[in-house]
Amino acid sequence: MDLTFDHRFVKVNGINMHIAEKSPSVAGNGNFDGVLRRPVILFLHGFPELWYTWRHQMVTLSSLGYRTIAPDLRGYGDTEAPESVDAYTSLHVVGDLIGLIDAVVGEREKVFVVGHDWGAIIAWHLCLLRPDRVKALVNMSVVFDPWNPKRKPISSFRSFYGDDYYICRFQRVGLFDSHQKKMGFTLQEYGEIEAEFAKVGTERVLLELLTYRNPGPILLPKGKRYDDPVSLPSWLTEYDVKYYVSKYEKNGFTGPLNYYRNMDRTWELMGSLSNAQVKVPVKFIIGDQDLTYHIPGTKKYIHEGRFKSHVPLLDEVVVLKGVGHFLHEERPDEISKHIHDYFLTF
Amino acid sequence: MPPNKKKGEMEGIDHRMVKVNGITMHIAEKGPKEGPLVLLLHGFPDLWYTWRHQIIGLSSLGYRAVAPDLRGYGDTQSPESFSEYTCLNMVGDLVALLDSVAGDRETVFLVGHDWGAIIGWFLCLFRPEKIKGFICLSVPYKPRNPKVKPVEGFKAVFGDDYYICRFQEPGKIEEEIACADPRRVLRNIFTGRKLGPTILPKDNPFGANPNPNSENIELPKWFSEEDLDFYTSKFDKTGFTGGLNYYRAMDLNWELTAPWTGAKIQVPVKFITGDFDMVYTTPGIKEYIHGGGFAADVPNLQEVVVIEDAGHFVNQEKPQEVTAHINDFFKKLQDKDNNKSF
Repeated sequence: MDLTFDHRFVKVNGINMHIAEKSPSVAGNGNFDGVLRRPVILFLHGFPELWYTWRHQMVTLSSLGYRTIAPDLRGYGDTEAPESVDAYTSLHVVGDLIGLIDAVVGEREKVFVVGHDWGAIIAWHLCLLRPDRVKALVNMSVVFDPWNPKRKPISSFRSFYGDDYYICRFQRVGLFDSHQKKMGFTLQEYGEIEAEFAKVGTERVLLELLTYRNPGPILLPKGKRYDDPVSLPSWLTEYDVKYYVSKYEKNGFTGPLNYYRNMDRTWELMGSLSNAQVKVPVKFIIGDQDLTYHIPGTKKYIHEGRFKSHVPLLDEVVVLKGVGHFLHEERPDEISKHIHDYFLTF
Repeated sequence: MPPNKKKGEMEGIDHRMVKVNGITMHIAEKGPKEGPLVLLLHGFPDLWYTWRHQIIGLSSLGYRAVAPDLRGYGDTQSPESFSEYTCLNMVGDLVALLDSVAGDRETVFLVGHDWGAIIGWFLCLFRPEKIKGFICLSVPYKPRNPKVKPVEGFKAVFGDDYYICRFQEPGKIEEEIACADPRRVLRNIFTGRKLGPTILPKDNPFGANPNPNSENIELPKWFSEEDLDFYTSKFDKTGFTGGLNYYRAMDLNWELTAPWTGAKIQVPVKFITGDFDMVYTTPGIKEYIHGGGFAADVPNLQEVVVIEDAGHFVNQEKPQEVTAHINDFFKKLQDKDNNKSF
């Protein structure tokens, strides 16, 4: 298996973005130009991951003729992580991706998109804001959650799941100076979870999250101990873990955590897209052991029509039996086939 | 006449408060309930009132005219932080407003002037499926420049005293307006004919005649003492900070609208300006409007109208002409629609 990827940095939307690419191998006649005209798949990772989560799909799909591109999203891995906690709304991240598509594919060009976890949320927003740049979407794990004026995210999570719910624990814990608040400034707020992560250790934190297989919500009570040995699932090797740990140890968790810290602000701004439908062709894949599939109301939403009413071009929903949250790593060939089969129809 | 008729209100215009997007919004409306809906958006430092003639005119032509006080103005709520005055917040208000007033209508007609035109452009960018046609007064589309932030861009071209730069510091221009007397400042803004770019020197920013008798200088025919009273009373009550927050959120807007870099306006548009408008006469604008740039960014730009002998508030200066232009354009679009269904 050819695990070589091309890595480079692209300046987009004011940040330096690291991307990994794998393209169809150049034919003996040196036809570079042909490669640039191949259909592009943009892969969007989630939390707590990196471009690396897509390694299997990139190998398979590039051999099938696609230009595959997987960035480290803003705040992750080798991509710049702006200091301001306010610089991580969906508007910022989608802005990065438009800049990326403009730079590496072309202005006005459309791409295929594949998203997972936070990458799926970003993909939904990319399709809402710029349907003119997305040819078709294969989204995984996280359904489209239509904007609801009555459901401000964090307070809703808190009342539904309690203070130990991981998203609540990830929030910023800052003190506003009331004068500064009046002036519109936000103090450089800090989160307390980073310190707790440091105590537990980067590797252990990642292992806990990557191997999570409980269909229930993730709860992180303060002071919980993480001493029991964790065994690696078949789809996660020591090498994989080393790679993730090296990047997260270098850059920390704050960038990725800032996405959660902007859920309320994104919600506030996305009122402008209230009742907007996702007008891009979509195939949705989810594992039946994924905790997202077990969020109350989700199965009904998916199978009884509401999902399709918000995503009218939802062509197919696939539920993989016995598969968990990281489905594209658990069943890489199956997922690659689903992606290829779908994009072939365009 | 109704016994408790408020000062400056015109007969037959209904007023009410609507809960939208987390704030309470005041709207003025008139016209047959089932008529095609026209949403009218005012600018700075203005109010629903700027549309008084269009509201009367359009409603008598069968339209349902709806003119809100935008967030931060008049009888609508003014959130405290400038970060709540981004175009996304504004469009959120208007989308919620349309949900409330548009009923079964899938699309509406849109008219915007000054900042209302800018908000209109964003509404067309974010929710083109809701807008049948857009009449833009005074302020053409300005595509986002990913390399240059707005305020530093203006500063580089027009200097520190360019009005947008002078509006940035919280509290400062409010002080200067208070010193120069809000009534006089408003009078000069509405009736002034100074050509662009608008510069506010740090001493004597509003070019206010220190002559205390300047009150006696005649107002133009189209702007009465009662009109000035109405504006002054509203801005005395709210202050100018709400409206100024739009300017203070421009850089933040730029940051948040990165996704729409390079996006074109797809909605049918008619552009109207007065030939003495300080925007139209700001260097670069005429070239953009007439030289092809505007049409390239707005592929469905159908008409550009320059009204002679009119300034910035063309909808107040030449009300019948503007109303006729609006009706003309919307009727054309409506007829096109009706023909499609055959």
